[in-house]
Order: sequence, then structure tokens, then C-alpha cells
Amino acid sequence: MAFATIGELEEGLRGAAYLPERGLATALYLSLVLEKPLLLEGEAGVGKTEAAKALATSTSARLIRLQCYEGLDVAHAVYEWNYSRQLLHIRAAQEGTVSEQELFGPDFLIRRPLLEAIESTEPVVLLIDEIDRADDEFEAFLLEMLSDFQITIPEVGTIAARRRPAVVLTSNRTRELHDALKRRCLFHWIGHPTLEREIEIVALRVPGIPARLASQAAAFVQGLRRLELAKPPGVAETIDWAQALSALGRQELDARTVEETLGSVLKYHEDFAAVRDQALVALVEEARTVAAAVAL
Amino acid sequence: MGPGRISDALSGLDRVEIKSPDDVYWALRTTLVSRAEDLETFDRAFAAWFLRSPTRPPYRGAYPVDKPARLSERTRTDRGGQDDRLGDETTEVGWSAHEILRRKDFAAMTAEEFAHLSKAISEVAAARPVRRSRRLRPHPRGRRLDLRRLARRSLARGGDPIERTFRRRIDVPRKLVVLCDVSGSMEAYTRALLLFLHAAVGSGRRVEVFVFGTRLIRLTEELKNRDPEQALASAAERVVDWASGTRIGASLRTFNDVWGRRALTRGAAVVIVSDGWEREDPALVAREMARLQRAAFATVWVNPLKGNPDYQPLAQGMRAALPYVDRFVAGHNLVSLEELAGLLAGIERRHAA
Repeated sequence: MAFATIGELEEGLRGAAYLPERGLATALYLSLVLEKPLLLEGEAGVGKTEAAKALATSTSARLIRLQCYEGLDVAHAVYEWNYSRQLLHIRAAQEGTVSEQELFGPDFLIRRPLLEAIESTEPVVLLIDEIDRADDEFEAFLLEMLSDFQITIPEVGTIAARRRPAVVLTSNRTRELHDALKRRCLFHWIGHPTLEREIEIVALRVPGIPARLASQAAAFVQGLRRLELAKPPGVAETIDWAQALSALGRQELDARTVEETLGSVLKYHEDFAAVRDQALVALVEEARTVAAAVAL
Repeated sequence: MGPGRISDALSGLDRVEIKSPDDVYWALRTTLVSRAEDLETFDRAFAAWFLRSPTRPPYRGAYPVDKPARLSERTRTDRGGQDDRLGDETTEVGWSAHEILRRKDFAAMTAEEFAHLSKAISEVAAARPVRRSRRLRPHPRGRRLDLRRLARRSLARGGDPIERTFRRRIDVPRKLVVLCDVSGSMEAYTRALLLFLHAAVGSGRRVEVFVFGTRLIRLTEELKNRDPEQALASAAERVVDWASGTRIGASLRTFNDVWGRRALTRGAAVVIVSDGWEREDPALVAREMARLQRAAFATVWVNPLKGNPDYQPLAQGMRAALPYVDRFVAGHNLVSLEELAGLLAGIERRHAA
């Protein structure tokens, strides 16, 4: 166990340039000490995937990532046999001397992320990203792995984890996950950060950004989230945008700069047009006022 | 909530600073709650127990709650008059009573007639559109070599791949998303359509059902109940605005914002059941339909009024929506529901109205 308290874990994540709220830190901490997978849900861009990456960095563990998609199957997630090697091996050997056991042994196994995570002897953070995109058959398969940390390969037998990997699952909730899967996981919903926290995040992730610009950018994005947008910007967008503003050498926000760079915050044309034509000037004013108040 | 969760919660509490209300809150929330929808309930329970704060009863929505009449009492309305001649069985020589029922407008049916038909409605609903899966299954006429089986079978022949094994992509049901109008103007058709939807949900996976009057409500879970009567009864409990006004645009916007953003629409066949009577802004209907159509595989609009041969899409909401509708069908009697089912099973391309 790398961390004795939640506070230490928070410090560790901070060291990996990730600022968790207390709730997320608690969830990650409990997931480590109870050795249970953690399911993270939240709007796009709130830092679900980043949390797993930061956890890996801060525990000096290797990050193994499995990106889920529709049609993902065992051959791509767990293992596959190396067929060309198998066929060559049969041909090269004397006729009748190759047994099935030999052919389906560890030498001919191609390890995919899940098997790799189970077999690893060094500490591992296993990130199962966007689990809701995989189909339910795959979810059912994950059950065995997540409850017992073992994988069964018919030809080889059951492989149990040498050391339990820390497991983080993320979901965008395109569909409801199976109850049995949820039961095996701890759960945390990541919301949008508070203004103060978002300013800190921007300052941490965009080194060298003027403090006032960081506050104004964060306040502006917070204002955007209150509007009725098709896709409200996440922290990821705030960071992208702050990077753009910083790269342009701006010291503070003004309506023109915002209009020119808004594309890195709002990714839908309708949202972009609505904000540009209606709310922009007022939002910039508000952001400047709010940022000034925070600075005091 | 099972014992596993409680044991997790206790172990969790053991590991955090028990004197800090924050840590206790987060430890319990992480271990006990597994759905975002339950967070509010958890917060109330936490406040009631740990903070000793008096709680209010759960929020039931901002709309006046009229106790909905039982569904079965509401299938017949004053609009039935126009098709009454069809109910006169003796005039149609050679037609079975069933055949006449098949063509009778749902709005003109008596409760008994409807009961006769409900099984047929359920059967019709089983058809669903399919899409090609990315998964490969063994198939004798497949195009891709099944190397796993090939290697295994050639073992017996010294490594010569004599027997060739193939895999191909198989068809799986396409996602079907249904948005059903249950407002006053649709009252006469609501029960028939909900029966249809109940059977569609029961026919397999990947059907999502929402209903809307003045606001949007997800009914998939309620309709999963195997017994149609119970399913409709629990659905009726969820919906507080049966037979009220319609806000099609606002409901579509909620759908796009909450569910479309989670990519539920992507690749789905989306069916909207409504007569198109929008109480508010038709421009909003057009805008949200455009968003919907962009994400969906195909959009189908079912309007029971279209069953009347003289029907013209005059309702403003309907006119606004039509440019973004791929197929426009009736759905006012069993025959037209059969057509709808056939259409859903056969949708291959979008924009081929």
C-alpha cells in the first residue's frame, strides 16, 4: 500500500498534476485498500480517464489501458493464439510429434491488456475505458475477472492474478451497466469542479499562464455551463482553451479574443453560434468581475 | 442493497477518518451507491441520519398531480365516431371479425374489442431492425478464415490446412429508441401503442422507451415487467402528465441533451409517436428534430391521424418536424402497426422515405 491516508493519496495525485476533489480521492483510496474496482461516471471531459492515469503515475504503477468499443471480444481484450506460429511449428516438427497441449501452451499465447494486467508481477493500474461502449456479452465476461481477479483460458486453465491490479472503469452512461457488474465495483460520480478548484487545475496544467487569465478563463467556462448548451464544456476543454490563450500571449480575457478562440471550448456549431451571437459579451464581463473577486 | 455493499461500507469506514463528516460521507457514498440517479436519495438519507436534518418527501415534479384514471377506462373517447361503420360486421361479407378488428381505428374500439387484439399487438412488435455486428461468428459461407479452428484442425494433418474454416459478421438487432406522446390529443391511441412498446421491450435487448407530454420520462425499466397489465400499471404511476398538453420540442431537447449526449441516439432507429400538436414553439421542434436526425440511423414518425385518408399535416409541430423525418407512417390500427413493424425490421438505409 503506497498511501496511508486519503490526504497522502491527494498529495500523490497532485504530484501527478491531477487535482481530485475529496470525494474522488476517497473513492480511489478505498478502491486501493479494499482491492475493489472503481467505476467512474461523469460528463465527458471531467477527467475520468485522467484520474486513472494520475493514479498510475503517483503509485509508480504501469498503466494498462483497454479501450472498449462495440464488438470488442476476448481475442482483443484478453488473449489470442498466435496462429501463424502454431502452423509453422506443426510443419517444422516431425509429423505426429506435436501434441495439442504443446501447441496451446504459453509460448503461443498473445497477451492482450486484461491478461497482461493479471499476469503482471509489477504494480499495475488497469484502466477499462468507456465500458458502456462494449456489448453486454463482454460485460458478463468481465464479471469473473473483476470478482476473482482470474481469467480462464480453456486450453490452459485458470490464471489467477499474482498481485491484484488496481482497476478503474469509466463509463459515459450511453447505457445502464449490468447490476452484477456494478455490485463488484465502488462507484463515484465526477461532477464539474468548483470555480476555485478549476482555477487551480488550470494553473497547474498550463504552467506560466498569468494568474488573472487563468481565473477569467475558468470563470468564463463556469458561466458557459449555466447556459443550455448541447455539450457543456468539461475541464479538458478549459485546459485546452487556457493553453491556447496562453500560447497567444494574452494577459486577460476580452470579447474579441474569446470569439477567436471559442472553438477550443465549444465543439458544436449550434452552441458556438448561440454563444457568439447572444451571451458572449455579458459572459466576458461576468468572468472578469468574478475573477477579480476571487483574486481578493 | 445486498450484504456485500454493507460489508464494503463498513470496511470503508474503517479506513477513513471517522471523525470527519466529509470522509464518512464520501466513504459511504462510494460504497453504497452505484447509480447517478440514486445520489439524491442517498444525500437525503445521509442528511436525515447523520445530520439529523428534517427531510421533505421526495420531489414529485412541478406539475399538478392528477390521479390518472385507469388506463382501461380511457381507451374510448368521443373521437371514435368517424369509423363506426367499420364496426358493423354484417355489412362486410366474407370478412372475419378478426379481420375487421385489424382495420378498425384504435380510437373507435370498445374495451372488449381491444382486449381481443392485445395479443396480436404484442406479436407484431417483435420485429426489430438489425445491423451488422463487428463480432465474427463461425459461419460456413463466411469470408474470413477462422484461424483458431484452422490451427486446431490441421494439427491432425501435420500442419496442412486442408479443412478450411470461416467466420463472418453476423446480424444483431439495431438499437431502437421510441419516444411516445401520451398527451391528451393522443389519448385514444396511447394504450395500444404502449402495449406495442411493451412487447418491443420484451422481445430482446436494446429497446429504449420514453414517453412525453409536458416532459420526458424514461419508461424502459417499467415496461420490462413481463406481464403487460402490471407493466402498464407501473408505467402509469411514473407518468404524471397523462392526457395533458404537449411540449414536443422541449421533450425532444431533453432527450437530445440527456440521452443523445450519451450517444444513445447514435446508430439507432428512432421512432417518434405523436400527432404533432405542439403547444409551444414549432421552431424548437424543427431544431431538435434536426439534431436528432443527424445522430440517428433513421427517424420514423408515427402519427395515428395519418390513418385518415384526408389527413394533411397541418399541425405546426408536425409541419416543422417533417423535413427531418425519414419515414412517415400511420399506426392507428393493427394493420398499420404491422406495417410499422415490417418497416422497422427492414430499415437498411436512412433518408429513403
